[in-house]
Order: sequence, then C-alpha cells, then structure tokens
Amino acid sequence: MGHSHAPKKKGFLMDYLTTVDHKKIGILYFVAGGIFFLMGGLEALLMRIQLIVPNNTFLNGATFNEMMTMHGTTMIFLAAMPIIFALMNAIVPLQIGARDVAFPFVNSLGFWLFFFGGVLVNCGWFLGGSPDAGWTSYPPLSTSFSGFGIDFYALGLQIAGLGTLIGGINFLATIINMRAPGMTFMRMPMFTWASFVTSALILFAFPAITVGLVLLSFDRLFSANFFNVANGGNEVIYQHLFWIFGHPEVYILILPVFGIISEVISTFSKKRLFGYSSMVFATVLIGFLGFMVWAHHMFTVGMGPVANALFGIATMLIAIPTGIKIFNWLFTMWGGQIRFTTANLWAVGFIPTFVIGGMTGVMLAAPAADYQYHDTYFVVAHFHYVIVGGMVFGLFAGLYYWWPKMFGRMLNEALGKWNFWFFFIGFHLTFFPQHFLGLMGMQRRIFTFLPNQGLDFGNMISTIGAFGMTIGTIIFLINIAVTNSKPKKAPADPWDGRTLEWAIPSPPPEYNFKQTPQVRGYDALWVEKMAGNKGMTPAEPLGHIHMPSGSILPFIMSVGLFIAAFGLMYEKVSVAIIGALITLLCMLLRSLIDDPGYHVDPTEDKGVEA
Amino acid sequence: MTDTHSGANQKGEKHLPSQHSARNHLITFALSIVLTAIAFAAVALEQVDIKSVVPFIFLLALIQAGFQLFVWMHLDQKGHQFQRIFIGGGAFVALLAVIAFSYWIWW
Amino acid sequence: MSANHALHTELPAEPEKATLEGRNKILGFWLFLGGECVLFGSLFATFIALRDKANGGPTGVELFSLPLVALATILLLTSSLTSVMSILAMHKKNVSQMVVWLVITALLGLGFLGLEIYEFTEYVHEGHSLTSSAFGSAFYTLVGFHGAHVAFGLLWLFALLATTGKKGLTVVTAPKYFVFSLYWHFVDLVWVFIFTVVYLMGKVGI
Repeated sequence: MGHSHAPKKKGFLMDYLTTVDHKKIGILYFVAGGIFFLMGGLEALLMRIQLIVPNNTFLNGATFNEMMTMHGTTMIFLAAMPIIFALMNAIVPLQIGARDVAFPFVNSLGFWLFFFGGVLVNCGWFLGGSPDAGWTSYPPLSTSFSGFGIDFYALGLQIAGLGTLIGGINFLATIINMRAPGMTFMRMPMFTWASFVTSALILFAFPAITVGLVLLSFDRLFSANFFNVANGGNEVIYQHLFWIFGHPEVYILILPVFGIISEVISTFSKKRLFGYSSMVFATVLIGFLGFMVWAHHMFTVGMGPVANALFGIATMLIAIPTGIKIFNWLFTMWGGQIRFTTANLWAVGFIPTFVIGGMTGVMLAAPAADYQYHDTYFVVAHFHYVIVGGMVFGLFAGLYYWWPKMFGRMLNEALGKWNFWFFFIGFHLTFFPQHFLGLMGMQRRIFTFLPNQGLDFGNMISTIGAFGMTIGTIIFLINIAVTNSKPKKAPADPWDGRTLEWAIPSPPPEYNFKQTPQVRGYDALWVEKMAGNKGMTPAEPLGHIHMPSGSILPFIMSVGLFIAAFGLMYEKVSVAIIGALITLLCMLLRSLIDDPGYHVDPTEDKGVEA
Repeated sequence: MTDTHSGANQKGEKHLPSQHSARNHLITFALSIVLTAIAFAAVALEQVDIKSVVPFIFLLALIQAGFQLFVWMHLDQKGHQFQRIFIGGGAFVALLAVIAFSYWIWW
Repeated sequence: MSANHALHTELPAEPEKATLEGRNKILGFWLFLGGECVLFGSLFATFIALRDKANGGPTGVELFSLPLVALATILLLTSSLTSVMSILAMHKKNVSQMVVWLVITALLGLGFLGLEIYEFTEYVHEGHSLTSSAFGSAFYTLVGFHGAHVAFGLLWLFALLATTGKKGLTVVTAPKYFVFSLYWHFVDLVWVFIFTVVYLMGKVGI
C-alpha cells in the first residue's frame, strides 16, 4: 500500500521548508511577519526622527517618501496580515476539532508566496530605489512620475496577494467542511467565526486589487493606457479598484482581532461571552457593510453630493454593529471574576483605544467635514488608533494568550506588563497629538514642516512617544528570548480555557486530536468542565491517523514567480518565461505525483490526551 | 459513502445522478443557443431601438448564465448552499464595481 | 480514507464526492470561482468605463464582426456541453466515453482559441492594440484574460487526459475531472457576458 509509519526525520531547515502542517506554517507566518513588523517599525521611527523638529535634515524628501511608502506597505501587507494568518493557522483548526486545514499543500504555498512577495517588495532598497508613491500608489504619480521602485511594489504585492487569497479559500473550506461532530455554526468560537467572515472578505476583496495592480503594471511595463488621460484613460479607475479592495482590507485586519478580544475577555472574566448571537450577527454585518463604503476614501475626488452622501451614511452605519460588540465585551466583564494577565491587559487596553479610533472614523464619515480632514494628520491619527490601538493591541493579546499553545512555553508575565505599559503609553503619546496637528492644518506625507506654525510641540511629543513604542517592542523581543531559554513545560490549559484548543497538549502533537472530539455546545470545553468531565468525549474510536507528506514544491513555485517578476521588471522576456515555467512545472508535478501520506499510531505517543 | 467524521454538512445527498440526466443538460444547451441567437439577432437586425436593446441582451445573458450555473454546474442541487452563497457574494461585489464604474467615473 | 486501489466496479455513484478531500476540492473550487467573479467583474467594469475611448482609432462598431464572434460562441458553448457529457459518462463509470467527450472539448476549445488569435491579429493590423488607446487596453486585458483562462484550461485538460491512462477513474481522480468541468463551465459563462457586453454592446455603439 505504500504507507510508512513515520516519515524520515528531517533536519530543522528542511522540515520548515517542506512543512504542510498548519501549526508550523503558523510559526513561519509569525516569524516572517514579525521580522517585517520590525522593519516597518524602523521605517516609522526614522520618519518620526525626521519630524521631531521643523526643517530637519535627517532624511531628505526622496528617502522620506520611500520610508513612508514602505512603512505603510510593509505594516499592512507584510506584518499585520501574516501575523493574523499565523494565529488563524495555529488556532482555527484546533478550535473546530480538526486535524489540519482543508488544503495543507496550498496552505504552505500561501505562506511562501507571501514570503517571496514580501522579499520582492523590499528588494528596492538595494536595487535602485524602493517604492515611493505611498502605500496606495495612485497614478499618475505611480505611472508617470515615479521610478523603478513601483514595479517592486506592484509585482511583489501581486505575488503576496495570491498567497493571501489562497489562504482565505483554505480557511473557508476548512471551517465549512471540517468541523468536529456537534459543532454547528452557532457553536463555533468567536475567533473561528471572525476568521470565517475575514476569509470571505479576503476572497472578494483581493481580486479587485489584483486587477488594480495588473492595470498599473500594464501601464508601466507595456505602455497600456488605463490611466493615461491623453489616450483616453482615467485615473479614478485605480482609486475605485484600490479602495474596493482597501476598505474591506481594513476589516480583514480588525475582524480577527475582534474575535481574539471575545476569547480573551470571556476567558479572563471567567464568564460566557455576552450576546454570542448578536456578536455573530454583528461580525457578518460588518463584513457585508465593509463592501459598501469604499468611496469614503474618495470624498474629495469629485464624485458629487449623491455618491458622497450614500457612502457617508453607509460608513456611519458600520458604527452600529461595532458598538454592539463593544457593549457586549463590557457586559461580559461586568460581574465576572476578572484576572489581569498580560493578555487581558492588552484586550482591556484595546477597548477605549479602538473606540477613540472608531469615533474619529465617524467624524471622517461626514463628507463635508472630511473636506477639511482629508490628507491631514487627523486621518493619520484615526487610522493608527484603529490599526495600532485596535489591531496591534489585539494581536499582542492573542499572542500572549496563545503563546503556550503554539510554543509550549508561557511568556513572562512581568516582562509582559512592562511591554504593555511602554507600548500603550508610547502609542497614545505618539498618536493623540496627531489629531490636533491635523486640525491645525499639518498635511500628511510631508517630510518636513516650517517652524512657528504651532506644529513643533505636537511633533516632538509624537516622536518621543514613538521611542516609547520602540522600547515596548524591544521588551517584547526580550520576553521572547527569555521565554525561549526555558524548557517546554506549558500545561495544556494554562488559563482554565473554554474552547477546544485547550483540550490538547501545548504544543499539540502533529495530528492535534488523538480522537476527534464530540462537541455538545458553545464553549465546547467549558461545557465538559461544567459537566464534571476531565476532557472532551471522543466522537470516533482510536485508530491510525493519516497525515499528508511535506513538499518542497510550494517553495520552488514561489521562487519561480519571484524570478518571473524580475524578468518582467528588467524586460528580459526569457527570464520571465523561465520563472513562469518553473511554477507551471511544479504544478504539473504536484498533479502527476500522488502523495500517499503516512500513518501515525497515536497510542505510541506518550502522555497524549484526546 | 460519506465520511462520518467530516462534520455537520454533507448529510448524504438525497438526489440521484440520473436526476440531472442528459436531457436537462441538452435542454440547457439548446436554450443557450436560442438565447444567444436572439441576442445576436436583436443587434444585427437592428430591430430593437438602441435604448432598449442593451438591457434586453443583458437580461438574455443573465438568463443563460442562470441556466448554466444551476443546471450544468449543479447549483440547484442539495448540498450546494455555500456554493450559492459564495457565487452570489462574488456576483454582488462584481455588480458593485460595475455600478461604480458606470456612475462614478468621469472625465 | 482514500481508497487508492478501489476497483472500477466498487466506485460509488458520485465518486467525486465520496471522500472528504474530493468534497473539499469541489467546495474550494467554487470558492475560487466566487473570487473569479470579482476579478472578471472588475475587468468588465474597467471595460465599461473605457469602452468608447478609442483615441481616434477604430471603434468597436468598425472592428467587430458578429459572424466571427457567433462562431466562437458556438464553439465554446458546445465545448461546455461536451464537458457536461464527460461528467455524465464519468458517473456511468464509462472511462473511455468520458475521454472521448473530453477530447472533443479540447478540440472545440482549441478552435475557439485559434479564432480569437486570428481575430486579435486582424485588429492589430487595423490599428487597435493594447497601446493604441484606453479602449484597446481595456479590450485586450478583458478578452485576453478570458483567452488566457481558456489556454490554461486546455493545458490543464491535456495534463488530465495524459494521466487518465495510467491512473484511471478512482475516488481520488474523479474530483479532478469534476473540478475541471466546473472551471470550463465558468469560462464559458464569462464568455456569455463578454459577447454581450463587449461585442454586442460594442456593435450597437452604446
């Protein structure tokens, strides 16, 4: 039959290069995303140093534009999304009682595409200039007035975006088809629900930017005329396409975090999440409405009062389901036995911070007011409050919460609290003044400003705050290092958890569940605990478990596209064709060569719980 | 036939493959040809005035697309709930793009 | 789980749905098609916005030949039917009949592609290219992407046919034929909208 009992032991490097295991892929996403996060943070710090005093000469305009562009592009596409995918990969299959995602090979492909796309975007640093037209890269700036770097942006994001898209498809199929028996949709944990809606957003939003980047690349590489007004083109097309993607993208960033906050707050209040059904409904509604508001990024472009009014109202409507969530989290904590672990500090710190960001969002949603706010630091303050004060705080909460499950060790709580307070205070110092800088008229994306306009003090405080965030981040890195030096002794359930992932060891064995569990209600593990059981009841007898084999093909396929991109950029057709052929050949090999996988006998594992 | 541990959804398809016999598929084919021919004729023969012909041929296209989706691609069968939701979602976002570009692109 | 060595006669009624992997692949592919709707929708929207921006060059009214488009449509539509017939044959466990239908599908698809390549070269001679105008860019990107989907589908079909001899029809290979057939139907479905929006509306001059 060709099934071996266990594959040959691979070295550490080959293991990670060929893994199709969602848990290891989650770690890969975390490490790569983490490295890009540090790069993006450095880019931000350099910008803030330039802006600490007026007329500063630390960075010139051209370099500042590159920093500004790369900071935004890196943070959103190469840091935030991968870390979200890290947590989704590590946790969602465990929360639904599955052994892996629906398409393990494609999961690996998604990671390597993201990785090589991210590397490509950053190649500009040493190959003639990074992208410098902002993270939005509007034409005609990006088609007619920018250098080589934009090609790194367009092609790199195209490749990385493909990875994200297939990741979204993977999680949708996994959640639809692979839930454990008894886990109906309305018994799924909130993080899984959030991942589900997020994946649907990814599926529908990313093709729009795929087309936008294709049109941009065609104009740049092949002299097409999509955005060339002289030949009949129209630049607003790009803006529509970018934001039809771009607005759902920010909900892609925040919805998983809403899921994390629900898990963390309910666990550390020792209380069932208040209003679960309304939380699910609100999540779906936010996802849907997220597609109806994109032109609020274009209020000042000239669409006219009818369009502006429609999009303004739709934008304000999203505040309603979001408000439902905020109240439900507060009601969950009310009357609970609250423990302020680091994870919960981040979650509780998230709530007022995100609300401030949401509030300024409603201010921005009024088109007439937006004519004043647009392209000022007021907007910069708003989105950093929701993205950093919202998403990043939530990601930290998720990391502290699920670190034991992913790595088998608990992050140090004392260091965690120092990490939190430096970052939290530094964050508010950095971005709160920026509201006022914007209201006083400081434009965004400028590399310097003149003295005696009332902008000096705010900018200086903002830069000091940035150093605070830097120290907080460094403390987090120290925490990781210190934690890593300790033995892997985390318990299966360090927090007295409520959901299925805490029913298996930390970290889980490669097959996750020795026996697929039977789910009897929402907060599946808590239901069993309240019934006096020590763990989950199995839904199937003990038996051999079939696992998919690893493969180097996803890595090679991604390298192929990476090479093809260079061929396109440097107009070497043969290189482009070779790169594409490498990828196509790997697809063919994957199709021709069947993977028999291998079997694992779970009874051979010592100390394994169901 | 169906795996027991695959979760809540595939509860065992009740329909038989013969339900979508060759007959239904051939009818869909014939209908598609006819709808296509009508659309081409409406334009080529210039019998319909300009303002109505465009919505007319678009409606014909939608009907044809519906038949191909529901019969040839089995969207009407049991167990295709999520497929319908996600194709519907994709069509909805596509429609948003078309509306946006029809009304909110100007020179 | 997957019965790699199931005999022909032991195949269940709908072999493509008999395994979890098969059901996952079919669902995953439908999800992908949902994304493709948005992809083509964006390309259609771009075309609609730029359809009359011919920059002084030839317009759709002058360029498009309805008989040629009608012929291409018949070819692609028929190939969609033959792919349905191949799946019906698959459900009847008749592998050779399935292969025959797939081969006819491939030939019809090749015919469509040949016609389109001929059509594009004619247009370029007449001054309508990717670079000549915004209309040109939008036309070739939309119709070209569709043609690229046809071409990729044909490569996929050749690979499938090449392995049928060796692997035969099993619960592992059945989903591959089914998923291909879904893809091919979708490609034809997009064409319905292309001939309507690009060629017919173009000929009307709207």
